[in-house]
Amino acid sequence: MTQVLDGVQRSTFPVKLFITAGIVFLIFFILPFLVGVFQTALISKLLLFGALAISLDLVWGFTGILSFAHGVFFTLGGYAMAYYLKLNLSSTNNNYGVELPDFMVWNGLEQLPWFIAPLKFFPVAVLAIVLVPAVFAYIIGWFIFRSKVSGVYITIITLAISSALTTLFISQQAYTGGTNGITDVAILTLLGIEITDINLYWVILIFTTLVLAGSLWLTRSNLGLILRSINENERRISYLGYDVASFKIFIWTLSAAIAGMAGGLFVPLNRFISPVYLAVAFGTQVVIWVAIGGRGTLFGPLIAALLLGQVQNYAERVTQDWQLIVGILLLVVVLFLPKGLMGLVPRINPNKLLMPSPNPSAGYVQARLFDWFTPLQGAFRTAQEWLIRGKRRH
Amino acid sequence: MLDFGLIQAHTLYLAQDATATAEASGGIDFYSFVNQLLNGIGIVGVLLLTGLGLAITFGVMRIINLAHGEFIMLGAYVTFLMQSAFQMDLLLTIPFAFLGTALVGAVTELTVIRRLYGRPLETLLATWGLSIVIQGVVKLIFSAQLKYVKSPPYISGNLLLMTRQDGTPLISISYYRLFIIAIALLMLGITLYLLYKTPLGRQVRAVAQNRDMAKCLGVNTSLIDLLTFAYGCGLAGIAGAVISSLKSVSPPMGQDYLVDAWMVVVTGGVDKLIGVLAGSFLIGESNAAIAYVLNDPVARVIVLAAVIVLIRYRPEGLFTVQKRA
Repeated sequence: MTQVLDGVQRSTFPVKLFITAGIVFLIFFILPFLVGVFQTALISKLLLFGALAISLDLVWGFTGILSFAHGVFFTLGGYAMAYYLKLNLSSTNNNYGVELPDFMVWNGLEQLPWFIAPLKFFPVAVLAIVLVPAVFAYIIGWFIFRSKVSGVYITIITLAISSALTTLFISQQAYTGGTNGITDVAILTLLGIEITDINLYWVILIFTTLVLAGSLWLTRSNLGLILRSINENERRISYLGYDVASFKIFIWTLSAAIAGMAGGLFVPLNRFISPVYLAVAFGTQVVIWVAIGGRGTLFGPLIAALLLGQVQNYAERVTQDWQLIVGILLLVVVLFLPKGLMGLVPRINPNKLLMPSPNPSAGYVQARLFDWFTPLQGAFRTAQEWLIRGKRRH
Repeated sequence: MLDFGLIQAHTLYLAQDATATAEASGGIDFYSFVNQLLNGIGIVGVLLLTGLGLAITFGVMRIINLAHGEFIMLGAYVTFLMQSAFQMDLLLTIPFAFLGTALVGAVTELTVIRRLYGRPLETLLATWGLSIVIQGVVKLIFSAQLKYVKSPPYISGNLLLMTRQDGTPLISISYYRLFIIAIALLMLGITLYLLYKTPLGRQVRAVAQNRDMAKCLGVNTSLIDLLTFAYGCGLAGIAGAVISSLKSVSPPMGQDYLVDAWMVVVTGGVDKLIGVLAGSFLIGESNAAIAYVLNDPVARVIVLAAVIVLIRYRPEGLFTVQKRA
């Protein structure tokens, strides 16, 4: 009896996958010792871009919402971290010997604006890195997914958001540092210990691994199945009694939170953040990673971000026209390889990779997570009704 | 003779100059507000020109063309090329800009767009890829350096509508802005005529309404698709030619107009071509008015936010007749 059970257990547990993943993780873990400082920093950056690409893949590859605004979520998280690091510069490093960051002094601000001041404290900053993009995404999602707006218009809305925020951040120089963004930030210290580049690399590696593993788990659960079904046939799913908008808002918000965290980790590495990452061009870059890597594969976008980043690093030394190569690659992929480069990799066992595991309780935790999330929407709806009723009374 | 860099573009872009005068005089002054609204006419012209091509490709053919900005840029480069090679007047280069971009548009339709009909998101991605490629190729040929186009001397200066006793201008509008809006309205008129008064236009509308039925009735739909897309791109080229002397000409210039053109088309709705006029008027003038009270970037942000809200409630546009499902 136990032997049979053991057999069942083994068949559903992807041993080989775990061993392979473990080996790959170990290789990445010891990589900083094998390559130079420059490569370590580059790979850390690319791993973060990979996490960002995975977050876009969750909404685009699985749910069918093409967004050019993921760079925006990334940058919002980045700005939260940048404010934290900037406000914690020791006064000797600060050019003006005052509490105020240099760009605020230049622009004639007398004191710290109230909405930036709390970011001086680490817990607040960490919360802001996740919550600012998430809440922003939640509001947008709540606003657009509960309407008859269809796929293409949502993409145009994300374009407009990206364009509008870029303009806003550049124009509000006193608060955002304008075109230059926030530069010369402090080195990240945790519990009094300065985080070196190599430590940061490991933190980023673990973060990206968690994002990948979490996304794999999420998309292979019942929730992931619903998301894929929304992509396939939205109307049918809603006829089956699912509240399509809630699912979309959930994955959209989650994805923005991941993007924000990636942005938050990006700043200590990059040492600055600027509206460049808000702009449509960077949002496009993310879309390109996902398209070239392969939509709905999760591994694909990560690998594409890593590989393209490496190739770009070397190509830019030889030629000025790296963007042209990327454009041609994108065209070829869209026209001839709709599944991206991952579509070239033969599927070994499509059932095991695509279907949710037969474990009946597999979707339970995600369902709980989702339940936990819905009261927020309930609160929003109540507030809305309350507002409407209040208006009628007058 | 490539020393156009020395000749300064004579008109400041859009409404910046007017904002400066408003700030100098302090407070809301009636005359400077009117001036600002007249400057808004210039923005309306630019928006109308850039939106018109998009209204054809998106409104009639339902193609999400994100390379639209690059066709504008190509038109501007054709003008630059014609001017530097043959010393041609800007007005004379317009037909060449039209033909040049229409040709590129036709090639694009044949090689890329044709394979993706009925897959809007794929089309969107492919045209993004295309826009990067066009930018890259132009950069390879002309380098990333800013190029300057000379505007015709006879449309420089301002039209004085009202002057003070001592002769200083009170209300005026630059001839160039009038020129832009005139070209824009002319193109709108020509397009309307082609679409509603010619047999070809009837076929185009038939294909837009019901492709299969049109095909059954003997319309060569693939030829119509080709011509319509090429025409839409050609209009973008005209926009580029006219805009070229407002600002410098550079490979990424199209990106600036892309989002705005989309906002115009989405606001106006694509059911009737006249929606584009209404959309560009609404966006251009509200932009100018808000910029007068606040400032340019904030005006842009507010207008974009308003358009997002608009898409949410009326994705089919403001000026579309509600159809029965």
